[in-house]
Amino acid sequence: MDVFRATVVMTFRWILRDRVLHAILAVALLMILLVPALSTFSMRQVQELSITLSLSAISFVLLMVTVLLGASSVWRDIERRYLASVLTLPISRTVFLLGRFCGIACFIALCGVVLGAAAAVIISVSSAQYPSDIPIHWDKIGLALLADIAKYIMLASVGIFFSTVSTSFYFPFFASIGIYLAGSGSQEVYEYVSGQFGKEMGSVSVALFKAVYYLIPNFAAFDLKVPAIYGVPVLPAGLGLTFSYAVLYCAILLCVSSYTFSRRQFP
Amino acid sequence: MTRGLILGALLLLYALVVVPFTTYMRQRPVALKLGYTPAGEALRLVASDQRYLLAQLAVDRVLFYFGSLFTKDGHRVSTPPEYFNMFATMQSALKLDPYNMDAYYFTEAAFTWELKRIREVNNMLDYGMKYRTWDAQLPFYAGFNAAYFSKDYRTASLYMQKAAELSGNPLYTTLASRYFYEAGQSALGITFLRAMEQSAKDAKVKKIYQVRRKALEGITVISDALNRFREARHTLPPDLKTLVREGFLSRIPEDPYGGTFYLDSKGKVVSSSKLAGKQ
Amino acid sequence: MNAIDIRNLSKTYRTRKWGRVDALQDLTLSVGKGEVFGFLGPNGAGKSTTIKTLMGLISPSAGTAQMAGVPVGDARCRMKVGYLPENPAFYDFLTAREYLRFVAAMFGMSPQETQAATGKVLGLLELEGAADRPIRGFSKGMVQRLGLAQAMLHDPEIYVLDEPMSGLDPLGRALVKNIIRDLKQQGKTVFFSTHITADVEVVCDRVGVIVKGKLQTVNAVHELLAAGVVGYQVQVTGLSDFSGEGVEVTVRGGGILELQVPRELLSLTLEKLGSRGAEITLIEPNRQDLESFFLEVVAQGKK
Ligand SMILES: Nc1ncnc2c1ncn2[C@@H]1O[C@H](COP(=O)(O)OP(=O)(O)OP(=O)(O)O)[C@@H](O)[C@H]1O
Ligand SMILES: [Mg+2]
Repeated sequence: MDVFRATVVMTFRWILRDRVLHAILAVALLMILLVPALSTFSMRQVQELSITLSLSAISFVLLMVTVLLGASSVWRDIERRYLASVLTLPISRTVFLLGRFCGIACFIALCGVVLGAAAAVIISVSSAQYPSDIPIHWDKIGLALLADIAKYIMLASVGIFFSTVSTSFYFPFFASIGIYLAGSGSQEVYEYVSGQFGKEMGSVSVALFKAVYYLIPNFAAFDLKVPAIYGVPVLPAGLGLTFSYAVLYCAILLCVSSYTFSRRQFP
Repeated sequence: MTRGLILGALLLLYALVVVPFTTYMRQRPVALKLGYTPAGEALRLVASDQRYLLAQLAVDRVLFYFGSLFTKDGHRVSTPPEYFNMFATMQSALKLDPYNMDAYYFTEAAFTWELKRIREVNNMLDYGMKYRTWDAQLPFYAGFNAAYFSKDYRTASLYMQKAAELSGNPLYTTLASRYFYEAGQSALGITFLRAMEQSAKDAKVKKIYQVRRKALEGITVISDALNRFREARHTLPPDLKTLVREGFLSRIPEDPYGGTFYLDSKGKVVSSSKLAGKQ
Repeated sequence: MNAIDIRNLSKTYRTRKWGRVDALQDLTLSVGKGEVFGFLGPNGAGKSTTIKTLMGLISPSAGTAQMAGVPVGDARCRMKVGYLPENPAFYDFLTAREYLRFVAAMFGMSPQETQAATGKVLGLLELEGAADRPIRGFSKGMVQRLGLAQAMLHDPEIYVLDEPMSGLDPLGRALVKNIIRDLKQQGKTVFFSTHITADVEVVCDRVGVIVKGKLQTVNAVHELLAAGVVGYQVQVTGLSDFSGEGVEVTVRGGGILELQVPRELLSLTLEKLGSRGAEITLIEPNRQDLESFFLEVVAQGKK
C-alpha cells in the first residue's frame, strides 16, 4: 500500500512540476476569466452562455491535460531511461501502472474541481449582471463537471493503454484524440446507422459500426451540459449506469494495460 | 493467471452493464441530444480559421438530430423537438460561415411549413443573399415564403425576379410572373416542393418534401373536384364522399401524414392530421 | 544457496527488419554469498544484457536466473538487491532527498529508517550539499553517485552494479573501490560489470570474462595474480658484478645492481647472491597484469 501511495505521490509531483502543464493551466484560467466578456455577446442568454462557455473551457482544458498526461505517462519514463531505475525496485509493473493511473486521475479531478470553483465564481458574477428566468442549477452544474471528470479519467486510461504498447509519444497522443472524437460521436452515428440509413449501407458495414460502438468508450453519456444549463432533469438510474460503465471500462483497460506492460521488454 | 480471472470477471460485469447502458442511451430524452450552441459571435472568436469546419459540424449535428425525430416511415416521434435550439444552432453556424448552403437549405425545410417562422427564415435568407450573391436558390426560397405563407405577392415577385436574373432558369421566371396571380396556392406549393425535392441530397429531407408534396397534390385533386362540383351545382357538397358518389372524384386520396381529408365549415379541404406528423 | 544463480541463460534481441542479435548464449554462472564478482568484457559483450535480465527489465529467451533463491521475474526477488543501472537517470523533477525517500518507500522502509539511511548514504557519497537540489541540475558524476546512494539505501544483501566507476573522477573511483571493499567486509555480495581490469584487480574475489555473449573464463583473482608472475626484479648492493644464466643485469648509480630474474630461477639466484655476501635491497614481482590476460581471453573468444 505504501508502495502504491509513493507511486501516486511521485506521479503527482511529476505533473505539478511540469512546465507544459503550468502553461496549459494558465491558459485555462485566462479562458475562464474571458467568459464574462464573451457571455455578453448573447443578448438573451447571458447566464446560459456563461455556463456553456465555462463548462466548455473546462472540458477543453481537461482534454489537453488528459491527452498529454496519458500519452506521456510511460513514454517519458522510457525516453529518459527512468524505467531502468524504477522498475528494478521491488515494485510490480502492475502496481506502478496503477499508481501512474491514479496519480493522473487524481490530478484530472483536482484540475476539474479547481477550474470548476473558478467557473462558479465567474458564473455567479455574470449571471448577477443579467439575471435569467431559469435559476442556476448548481447541483446539475456540479454533476456535469463530475461526468466530465469521469469521462477524462476514462480517456486517461485509454492513453495509458496506448502508451503501454508504443514507444513513441505521438501514437498514444493522436490515438487518444482520435478515440475522444470517435467516442463523442459514436452514439449519434450508432443511432444513425440503426435507422433508415443503415438499411442502405449494407449489413457488413453496419455490423462493423456497431462493433466499434461497443468497443470504444461512449462519451456522449457523459455530456450533461444541457441539464446543467437549462435544468433539464437527469435520470438517476441512467447516471448510475453511466458511472458504473466508466468504472468498468477503466478497470478493463487497466487490466489489459497491466498485461501488455508486464510483458514488455525494456532493454 | 489472476489477471486473467480479474479480466474475465470485469468483462462479465461490463456485459451486464453495457446492455442496459446502451438501451438507456438510445432512449434518453432527445433534449439531451442536441444541446445548446453558444452564439456565433462568441464561437467565431474562439474558432479562428477552423470556423468553417465548426459551422459544418454544427449543421451536421442538427441534421443528425433532426433525422432522429422521424421514424422510418417519415412520422415524427412523440417527443417535443427542440426547435429553438435547432434554429439557434443554425444561426450560430451561419455566423461562423455565412456561405454554408446546408444551413439555409435546412432552415427553409424545417422552419417554414410547420412552424411558420417565415419572418425569421426570410431574415436569415436576406443575410445569406449578401454573401451568396451568385445563388438563385436563396431568393427563390424567400420569394416562395413571401408568396405562399405571407401572401405578400409584391415582395415575392421581387425575389423571384432576382432569382430569375441570377439563374436564367425559366422556372423562376414563370413563378415570378404567372403563378402568383393565376395559379392557386396548392399549385405554387407543389412546384416549389418538387424543386426542393429534386435538389435535396439527404434521403430523409427528400422524403419529407415528397410526403408534403403528395399531401398537397391530394388537396389539389380534391379542390379541383370541389370547384367543378360548385360550378355544376352552385352549392357546396355536405362532405367529400358526395364528390365520389356523384362522380366528381374517383376516390378520396390518402393523407400521407396519416389523417383523413374532410371539408371544414368554410368549405376548405383540410385533414385531420393538420398535415403535420403526429405531435 | 548462492546469491546469484544463472543457468543456461540466452537472450536474442529482435531488431527491425527481422534482424536478430544473439546477445547472450547459454550463460551459466553462480556468485556465492559474500563474494565480489567482476564481470569483465569488451563493449557489446552482453554484460548489461545479463544484468538487465537479472533485474527483470528483459526476459530471457531461454534459461533461468535466481537471486537470493527467488526467480528473477518476480518483483520480490529485488527486495534484497541494490541495483545501479548503466548510465543511470532518475526522476529529475525530484530532489535527491525526495528520490531517496521514494526509493525507501518502494522497499517498505519506515520513516525513521528512511531518515537515518538517507543521511548515511548521502554522507557516504558526499552528496549532502546537493541533497535538496533537483536532480535535473546534477552533473554526470553526481548522478552516478546518487545511483550508488539509492542502491545502498536499504542496506541490501546483494549489489548489482553496471559499470559503477563510469563517469567518476579519480576521487570518486577511489571512493567506490573503498565502498566495495567495505561491503565485502560486511559480508555483502557484489556483482559488477566493468571494462577496467585494474578495478577488478583491486577489489574482486573472482572475475568472469564474457565475449560476444559467451562466458569465456571464470577465475579467482588471487590465482590469476599468482599465475601472472613471470619473474622478479631484484636490486642488490655490495656487489660489483654478477652473472648467471638467464639473469639480466644492469648497473644503476650508487653501487646498485638490478637483476631481472625469471620466476623459476629466483631461489637459485637468491642463494648465489647470499653466498657472495650481497645485500638485497628490493625484490619485486614482474607480473603479466590482468589486462594482458583479459586481452588474451578476448582475442581467443573472438576467434
Ligand atoms: N535493444 C536492443 N536491440 C538489439 N540489440 C541489442 C539491444 N540491446 C543490446 N543489444 C545488443 O546486444 C549485445 C550486448 O549488449 P550489452 O548492452 O549487453 O553489452 P555490454 O556488454 O553491456 O556493452 P558495454 O560495455 O558497451 O556496456 C550488443 O551486441 C548489442 O548491440
Ligand atoms: Mg553495458
